[in-house]
Amino acid sequence: MSEQSLVSDGPILGKEDPVLRAEGLEKRFGGLVATDDASIEVERGTITGLIGPNGAGKSTLFNLVSGFYEPDAGSVAVNGVDVTGKKPHQIADQGMIRTFQTPRKPEGMTVREALLVGPHNQTGESIIPLFTSPDTVEQEERRSLEQAQQMLERFEIGDLATQPATDLSGGQMKLVELARGMMAEPDLLLLDEPVAGVNPVLADKLAGFIEELNEEGITFLIIEHDMNFIMRLADPIIVLNQGSVLVEGPPEAVRSDERVIDAYLGGPSE
Amino acid sequence: MSTLDVGGYSPREKGVAGLLGALAALLLLAVITGFLAPAYLLYLVGLSAMYMLLSMGLNVQWGYGGMINFSVAAFFGLGAYGTALLTASGSPISGGVSPIVALFGGLGLAAVLAVIIGYPTLKLRDDYLAIASLGLAEVVRIFILNESQWTAGSAGLTGIPLFFSDWPVLGDLTYPYVFNVGGTSLFYMSQSVVTSALNVVLVTVIVAAVYLFLRRIHQSPWGRVLRTIRTDEDLAETLGKNTFAFKMQAFVIGSLIMALAGVFYSHLVLFVSPQDLQPITTFYVWVAVILGGTGSDRGAMLGGFTIVAIQQGTRFMTDTGALPIGAAPLRLMLVGLLIIFIVRLRPEGILPPERELIWPDSLGGGRNE
Ligand SMILES: Nc1ncnc2c1ncn2[C@@H]1O[C@H](COP(=O)(O)OP(=O)(O)OP(=O)(O)O)[C@@H](O)[C@H]1O
Ligand SMILES: [Mg+2]
Repeated sequence: MSEQSLVSDGPILGKEDPVLRAEGLEKRFGGLVATDDASIEVERGTITGLIGPNGAGKSTLFNLVSGFYEPDAGSVAVNGVDVTGKKPHQIADQGMIRTFQTPRKPEGMTVREALLVGPHNQTGESIIPLFTSPDTVEQEERRSLEQAQQMLERFEIGDLATQPATDLSGGQMKLVELARGMMAEPDLLLLDEPVAGVNPVLADKLAGFIEELNEEGITFLIIEHDMNFIMRLADPIIVLNQGSVLVEGPPEAVRSDERVIDAYLGGPSE
Repeated sequence: MSTLDVGGYSPREKGVAGLLGALAALLLLAVITGFLAPAYLLYLVGLSAMYMLLSMGLNVQWGYGGMINFSVAAFFGLGAYGTALLTASGSPISGGVSPIVALFGGLGLAAVLAVIIGYPTLKLRDDYLAIASLGLAEVVRIFILNESQWTAGSAGLTGIPLFFSDWPVLGDLTYPYVFNVGGTSLFYMSQSVVTSALNVVLVTVIVAAVYLFLRRIHQSPWGRVLRTIRTDEDLAETLGKNTFAFKMQAFVIGSLIMALAGVFYSHLVLFVSPQDLQPITTFYVWVAVILGGTGSDRGAMLGGFTIVAIQQGTRFMTDTGALPIGAAPLRLMLVGLLIIFIVRLRPEGILPPERELIWPDSLGGGRNE
């Protein structure tokens, strides 16, 4: 009974210092309601899990908060700044970086080049300074290269630096994505199924890296179907079902919650 | 053309350099033996340079940023007409403006058109630019054809001055021009040779400046963002890049380079007409970029050069009467064969980008791969 009471019916709102706050989000695709009055808050410093059966609307929720989909209703705030209806790059600038469920790999680049895209507002991204202050560009580029190498070594893929970014295994790709996200120095990283298709050994490593980064202050919101992985890492866990938040609570309690089990086993009777 | 990258050269690069060297030697031989008029050779060099510019411009749009522009001819035409309308004695609008000033007229027109077509389409996913630009070139051509009160219509514009016409010294040369050293005249050159030589100097400077400019922006963080956009615009957005702004910049830069080719063309041929805006130009430039190696500035130049070699080579072959086929069908057949050759054997083009594009010097103690 004590466990049951730990799990809140619907989302836990009014957290102290949320990096991300989404309120009443709604998204329809024609007749299909993919997100239905979904509200979540991600508290700073946590690793928050987002689970739910296939088609529950988890990826859609990511797309809504990161600006890839325009919500039909509701609002999104990152670090206290309202970003509803903003472009994805503007939301990223607020400190929230996402990955995609299917890994994205730029063609015709080495792994380290792909990482160098990460840092925000590089001087060399504007054309005029390339000619008026090449030294600044060079210094920044040098720093980013060092940072990229450190990041790759930290994730134990330093030897991949000059490999083509397209010639990687699924697991390596996930690590590169994480490294690239980190290059942008985010407050919050949204990971969509980081260990899908990754072998258990690498998944374990990845979990370790995420824990480390979290201890250094990065907040995570992670979608994952691998229960062992997400239960080990995340607290709290938010369960999404049919487009809205079913329950939220600590991992052990959520795992044994009847409503959650019902949702996974074929949905509640409606 | 191949002395441009540090580090070793691939066999492919050496092969291309060798071929170009052999071709240059052959052409030189043809001139010496009187087989080819010097002025005509210089004209060919100018024409190749013009195609190199067009290809480099398209490469910025398509090769860097993945933007599909089917109206290369329109930007070329606006450059050509922009300068012609301002400078030509036969211009119904103005005429008599100094070519140096008129240059900016041509560029300005192209920039305005680039913004007008780019603004609504680049906000959307990439295919919309392709669709919109498909019709654009024809709209511009037909506009020029019909609005003859401004453009002289199908008659075209005559009386375009040489680019150097109002420069001190260069503008006042007398012909035949005699080279004097210490009072003794060494040799003389006819007017056509001197003009062509000056044009070659002009276009060489333009091509070199454009190439160096492009190399810098291509190897920069700016170029890197565009290359990311090319494969995955969403990825660039999630990393905080304003993809619309980057695409717009690349689109305008590419269009300006195409217009530059048009400006040069006007002062090379001294006559422009709506005929010069035929969609076939766009087609040739696309073949050039893909043949040379999409995404490579050097490749674009090589492709541009190859197209002119085919265009002029076929004319030459049929002029000698050795072939029972006209120049135009032969040319199209060769280009068709070339396309089949690329698709079958080398889809990445002859000189695709092979090296990392990282800001020079930032890798510290030289590159080691
Ligand atoms: N762009 C779209 N157009 C139409 N329907 C969509 C679109 N995106 C998602 N949907 C639908 O919305 C619903 C929720 O999809 P979503 O991808 O968010 O689920 P998910 O929870 O991420 O599932 P999974 O665990 O399988 O990744 C699904 O029924 C899906 O088919
Ligand atoms: Mg999903």
